[in-house]
Order: sequence, then structure tokens, then C-alpha cells
Amino acid sequence: MRRICLKKHTFPNEGFLFKKQKSTHKMKNAINKVRNIGISAHIDSGKTTLTERILFFTKRIHAIHDVKGKDGIGATMDSMDLEKERGITIASAATYCEWLDHEINIIDTPGHVDFTIEVERSLRVLDGAILVLCAVGGVQSQSITVDQQMKRYKVPCIAFVNKCDRSGANPFRVVDQLKKKLGHHAIPLQMPIGLEAAHQGVVDLVSMKAVYFDGANGEEVRIENIPQDLLQEAVQKREELIDAASMFSDELTEAVLEEHEVTEKMIISAVRTGTLTRQITPVFMGSAYKNKGVQPLLDGVTGLLPCPYDVENEALDMDNGETPVILSGELEKPFVALAFKLEEGQYGQLTYIRVYQGSLSKGDTIVNTRNGKKIKVGRVVRMHADQMEDIKTIPAGYIGALFGIDCASGDTFVSPDLNLTMTSMFVPDPVISLAIIPKDNTSQINMSKALNRFSKEDPTFRTYVDDETKETIIQGMGELHLEVYVERMHREYTADITTGQPRVAYRETITRKAEFDYTHKKQTGGAGQYGRVAGYMEPINGADFVFENKIVGGNIPTQFIASCEKGFRQSIVKGPKMEFPVTGIKVVINDGASHSVDSSEMAFMAAARGAFREGYLKAGPVIHEPIMKVAVETPSEFQGAVMGLLNQRRGIIVGSQDEGPLCVVEAQVPLAEMFGFSTVLRSSTQGKAQFTMELGSYKQVPKSIAEELAKKAEKEKKGK
Amino acid sequence: MLKKELILQNPLRFIGEETQDILSEGGFGAVLARAGVGKTALLVQLALHTLLKGKYVLHISLDDPVNKISLWYKEVFRHLTQSYDTKNTNKLWEDLLPHRFIMTFKVEGFSVPKLEERLTDLKEQNIFSPQMVLIDGFHFNESARTSLSDFKRLAKTHSLHVWFSVKTHRHEKTGPGGMPSPLLDVSDLFDIVIQLRPEGKKIHVMTLKGGPADSDRPALFLDPATMLVKNNT
Repeated sequence: MRRICLKKHTFPNEGFLFKKQKSTHKMKNAINKVRNIGISAHIDSGKTTLTERILFFTKRIHAIHDVKGKDGIGATMDSMDLEKERGITIASAATYCEWLDHEINIIDTPGHVDFTIEVERSLRVLDGAILVLCAVGGVQSQSITVDQQMKRYKVPCIAFVNKCDRSGANPFRVVDQLKKKLGHHAIPLQMPIGLEAAHQGVVDLVSMKAVYFDGANGEEVRIENIPQDLLQEAVQKREELIDAASMFSDELTEAVLEEHEVTEKMIISAVRTGTLTRQITPVFMGSAYKNKGVQPLLDGVTGLLPCPYDVENEALDMDNGETPVILSGELEKPFVALAFKLEEGQYGQLTYIRVYQGSLSKGDTIVNTRNGKKIKVGRVVRMHADQMEDIKTIPAGYIGALFGIDCASGDTFVSPDLNLTMTSMFVPDPVISLAIIPKDNTSQINMSKALNRFSKEDPTFRTYVDDETKETIIQGMGELHLEVYVERMHREYTADITTGQPRVAYRETITRKAEFDYTHKKQTGGAGQYGRVAGYMEPINGADFVFENKIVGGNIPTQFIASCEKGFRQSIVKGPKMEFPVTGIKVVINDGASHSVDSSEMAFMAAARGAFREGYLKAGPVIHEPIMKVAVETPSEFQGAVMGLLNQRRGIIVGSQDEGPLCVVEAQVPLAEMFGFSTVLRSSTQGKAQFTMELGSYKQVPKSIAEELAKKAEKEKKGK
Repeated sequence: MLKKELILQNPLRFIGEETQDILSEGGFGAVLARAGVGKTALLVQLALHTLLKGKYVLHISLDDPVNKISLWYKEVFRHLTQSYDTKNTNKLWEDLLPHRFIMTFKVEGFSVPKLEERLTDLKEQNIFSPQMVLIDGFHFNESARTSLSDFKRLAKTHSLHVWFSVKTHRHEKTGPGGMPSPLLDVSDLFDIVIQLRPEGKKIHVMTLKGGPADSDRPALFLDPATMLVKNNT
């Protein structure tokens, strides 16, 4: 039995000589043996398949069901019908498993960029992650997005180069891309034994042994000597590994310099130190689908990724002007937890929480910091995809779920004597909207229920009723995002609804400085209304609206300044040009007049609205539209066709990247032109190309398009 | 206005004739330097000045991904326009973008026929038709002459000005006229050869071949902070 001594704690690690798994389901409270990890990657890199294998090898499930398997059961983590049907993971289900005495909580994260908020939220609560990469596709566009998110939340990660059995697999090219494209200091801890159809197993460069995976499902790990033909390369790669690892351990450096024996313990300990500080990304390889390389990866998770103790988490103290407070993770301290995900189950709302400090037991009273509401905890459970297990306590460092608690995702729960909030999460603004119309009254009721739940679950999904058309509008991060929610309304809530055309979230803004001087005057019997507001407006960068009061001498009495601001704020909700929200505008008032009897808050609000209209039309108003960063990955032979498609859509092609058999075309395309792109792309590339897109920036709409929009808006107005 | 000012301020004009392009159609230029001295920075400046004249530039990189090249352009442009109003520079940047196209290849996957195929495709579909091509990271090895001759033909057919970056090494010997070894056998194909030579804290911009002699023009330097070419110390 080998023991690997790590920086802070001692982790028993059996290497590849597996011990029989214990099937105890109690939380053991040994925090150094807990790993909260996420599995993130590009679409179709095999995240869900890998999770499925991990659950199988850790004996959480007893049979393997593939994502698009013939048995029709689908992967365990894809619990929604829709996910199984489309072969994509939408909501991140949380589950846990045990490996070599360690408890691993896994959040399966969706790969499609439309669901990025889910990925971001999971990363917020994770301590480490596995970055899954395809041995053929390498570092793809989504991997870059995910990597940026990991950087933002400083999540240490290990990489798994999957699909080594596929034709065209080249794991070392992927390692190279990790270095070049993502700037990781990627260090392989393994090398493959055979590639493509001949892929048999891996060479472990730490122990210098060949590892094979036998049995029907690769559950029998066979350790052999390294085949002669690979030995020389393995020795060289091990040297490279030691060279990189020695940066993080004096002991290892000394051993190398003085030519002492370099032990496995030394290497692992050094690699772990580098991994925790994100200075090294250890790379594992294999093929989850062919059940190769999963067990060593699990060893890597337990041996190299941090336990909750290694990660410093901060909360903001609401009583002390939001000063950051470090959460200690001790069980005896008051309780602090973050609700990172909500799910509506058969028995009510299920709230996933990550406990950062203290512990939560059945019967405890906790407070929701956002609204100060006290909550008595009824049931505490642990989730395994869509099945659950009652537990007594969730200690610090763990992920669990609560039942029947009314809250929104992102809420912080604390002990009654605390007033802390976890740092707020970054939530992007929606870029697309869709009108939905229920067929009948029952559908209307069901739709409302669904919308209520979805908007609580997903902060990027928003809904409102249009004042004028009385239509319900849903907003989200992309076509697929909204499509999935509409589909879920049909399936889960049997809401019979029809949808309108998707609409782009256009914005209005001004292009030059303009002055205004407006007097609002009404004298129709009784007290009149009087207010004069003068000043100027100008474009600004980096803010939606700024109001500045430069009035001197009380030309507008102080008590009416707030009304002026309110009047301007009312005006920017719907711009005078095309009724889109106005952004990037600074309003300065520097003069005005009032009347001792006739001036009122109402009068100044009306005066500000009038002043806004007056100034706005002189300030060169323009329409801005969301421009998406689009990356299309296609076999090289379709590169020309793909560029043609993007070009037709008012796209600016930034460049093309040749990656051997595949090629990535990067472009900036207006969102308005991207509707239905997936269908067109599929038909022009025999279904072999895929694309991702995310919001890049807002840019001015070309004149011809702006005119078209204006005509359309007028037509709609007449129709009302 | 901004465009005009930037064109007038361009110190690179001292290398070529005042208003003419430095290279003729089908002509080859090379920027030589050791690793990390500023080859890409100089190429990007050449490209930006061509873009400012409303021409189209194809940037081919055999080392770096598209994002990194874009970043180079953004940085150099930011330095060039530092003293101007951001509103105007933002607008100018947006105007320049559609004139630039970045292509990256793996060194081993790059060949002249492949490039020609891509180029024809872009031209036929009316997507992009470059007048200037930059090739960053081309390997000047023994077989380079054949590829370069093919390139010359391609450049003439498509009326292109082509600039190459050439990596030199400290240990390599130089030939007549100080021509570093990677270019020795193929220097006849090049109309202009510029070398970046670090001396102390300065990086000198020297012309080894073509253009006016160094003594006939103001001395040019690469500012190590911004990597911009300057004609004063």
C-alpha cells in the first residue's frame, strides 16, 4: 500500500491497486477526504459518458447506459426526458460517489453555451474540476469559454483527454493546444498505449507501469510492465514531468540534483501543489466510452484536486459595509451556505446548497440573507441525479439539498445570528426574447407555474408581460435556451402554447452631445403644474445611465432633483426612436426653474420626460444590436461553404484556424441573422459541423437594417 | 481625419518611397530577427498601415491561434492611436476589421496549394480578396526555395505583396552583406529585407536589402515599450 503525502493533509491513495469499495452512505465528516468537482467541456467531448463511467466504477450505478444508447434509458445524469432525447445535458444534476475512502460530489455541467449560467454557478461552488477534452477535436471553442470561467473562479483543474480510441486521436497535440490556446502549463501524467482502434490502456508515468482495463466494462485493472517499444518515450516523458513538478517541491529538486531516488510520493506531492495554485494542469488520458483510463483519473481527483479545506471562500458582511469575511470551514462555527440551484420535483422545490461553514441538520432554523426570512429545515437530502437519499446533516464543505424551501438561486443561508452574503454571481443580460401565447385557460395557469419556476431556477431566463400587447415575453441567452424552456413547458407542465418569432434585444443609444431646455406648464383650473429642466445629454461608455446634478443656487429645489432623475429613468425604459431600451447615456442638469405653488414632483417628472425627448432626438440616436462571437468547427472540406454562410449573414470573418482534419472559423455575426443557423449549417455540411456562439458586443445597426426595423415597428404599431 | 494623420505619421514610410507601397505586386519582403525581438509587432504595423489605406490584408500565422493574432492587432492599434479620442479610434477600428483576415495553419499542414485553394475560395465567393499577405512563422529550411518559388507565382497571379517573418539564431553565421543564413539561398526572391537588431536597450530597424540605404534615411528604432517603430531615439 502506497501513501501519498500531500501539502496539508495525508491522503491515503491506493494508486491503481484498488481496494474493495465500501458501500457506506453516511457522511463521514472527514473534510480532507471530500472532493467537490465539476466536469466541464465542449459539447460532445463526452462529459456525461465520463460521469456515467465514474458512477459505475464507484458502484453508484450497476449498469452503464450510454447517452444515446440503444437501450433507450439514457445516461443516469441526464434525468430530464428532453436531455435523453437530444443527448445533451441541460440542468446540472448533482451526485456523489466514493473512491478509495474519499467522497466525491460531482456536478455534471451542461456544455452548450446557451446554458453557461449553469456552468458558472457550478464552478462557484466547486473546489476543483475535470476539464474533458476530445483527443480528436482538442481544445475547442467551448473549452476556451469554460476555461475562462474556471480562471474567474480560480478553480484548479485536471485535464482528461477523452476519445483516444477515435480515429485521428492525438492526445499530445491536445496537450500542446492546452499550452498554446489556454496558456496552461499542461503536464501529461500518462501516455497512451496504442491509439485509435488499438487503444488498450495507459502508461502511468508516476509509477512507470502500464495499466490495462480488462473485463466486460473495464472494471478489472491489470498492472504490467511498460511494453518495450514505449519504454524509451515513457522515460523521456517522465523526465519532463519531474522537471515540471520540481518547480513546486524542494525535496524533489534536491532528489533530482543529488541523483537520489525520486519517489512517487514526491512527484504527486509536487504536482498537487502546482495544481492547487493553477500553475500546473496534470493531463490524464483514455476513453470513457471504451472504459479506459477512468479509474486512474479518479485517483487523480482524490490525489491532486483540493478538498474544501484547501480553498479559501469569502462572504460579505452586510453589517460592516460588505467587507469580505473569510469562511473558516469549521463545523463548530455558525452556518453559511449558498443555494446554487433549484429544481421542482414531485414533492416540491428542491434547493441544492453548498455549505461553506458550520453544518446544517434537520430541524435547524436558518435565515435567508436576501429577505431576512427565517426558515425551519424539514428534510435534508443528498441527490444522486433524480434519486434522493435522506441524511441527517450537511457539514461544511459538502453539497446537499433541502426540501420545500422557498428561495431563489444564488441566495445565501446563514445561522440567525449572522448577516453574511456570498459574493454575487456574474449574470449576463439576456439577448433574445420570444412571445409565448397559451392556447386556453388551463395552459395559461400551467404556463405561469412553469415560468415562475424557471425564472427562479435560472437567472438568465427572464419573463414579463408586455404592457401594450399583453403578451407574455420570455428572454434568454440564445435560441436553444428558450427552445428548451418552451419544450419543458409542453412536457413537464402540459402547457399548450404557441410561440411568436424570436426577437433580438436591440438597444438605443445616442452618438453626440445635445442640450435640452424644457418647460412643463399646465394651467387647467385648480393648482397648475410647472417645472423647467435644462442641461445636456452625452454618450458614455461602460454604463447604462448616469445622472448628474450640476444645479447651483436652487433653481430646481433639492426636493425635486430626485423626481427629475426618476423622469429621465422612466424615459430610458423605452427609447423615443424605436421603443428599445436606451443605454450608454449621461444626463446632466444644470439649470431649471420652479414655481412656489405649481411645482410638484409630478410636474418635474413630466418636465424631465419632455426634456429627455427634446434632447434625445437632437443627440443622433442610433440602434445597437447584439453581435455574437461565433465559432464554427467544421471538417476542412466545408470551410469555404461555412465562410459563405457566415458572410451571407452580415458576418465579419475574423479568421480561420486549421487544426488538421478540422478547422475552426471565427466570426462576428449579428444575432438577428443567426436564427435558424444550426439547421442551415447542418444541411450544408452533412451534419458534420457544429457551432457555438456567445455575446460579443453591441454594435450599431447598419442604416438599411435600421430603416427596415423602423418600418416593421410602424407596421406593428398600426396593427395594434 | 484620424486615418490621414495616422498615415502621415507612419515612420515606416522612410523605408519605402514616400507615398508608394514598399513592395511592388508579387514582391517579397522579409522581417528578420531573433525570437522575441518584435517580428510580429513590425508585421502587424505594416499590416495596419496598409489597412489604413483601405486595402485588404491576409495574415497567416503558422504558430499562434487567431485570438492571439487579433490581440496583437488590438494592442498595436491601441498604441498607435493612444493620443486620439477613443470614440474616433473605436469607429476606425470597426472600419478596419472587415479588411483583415487571419488564417492559422499548423506548420506541417501549410502548403502553397492549400493556401491557393483557400484564397480562390474566398475570392470566388466574394468574401475576401487580399492585396497584402503576411506570413508569420514560415520555416526557412532546405526545401524552402521550392515553396517560395510557388509562392512567388501565386503572389504574381493574385497581385499580392507578401511579407515574411524570418527567425534568426545567435549562433548562425551571416553571409555577404550581413544576410543571415536562413535567407542566404533565397535572398534573390526578396525585394526588401529588414532586420531588427537589439543593441543595448534599443532595437534598430536596419534594411539589409532594398529600400533606401540606412545612411540616407533617419534612423529607425522599435520602441521596446510599445513595439512601435519610431524615427527618433
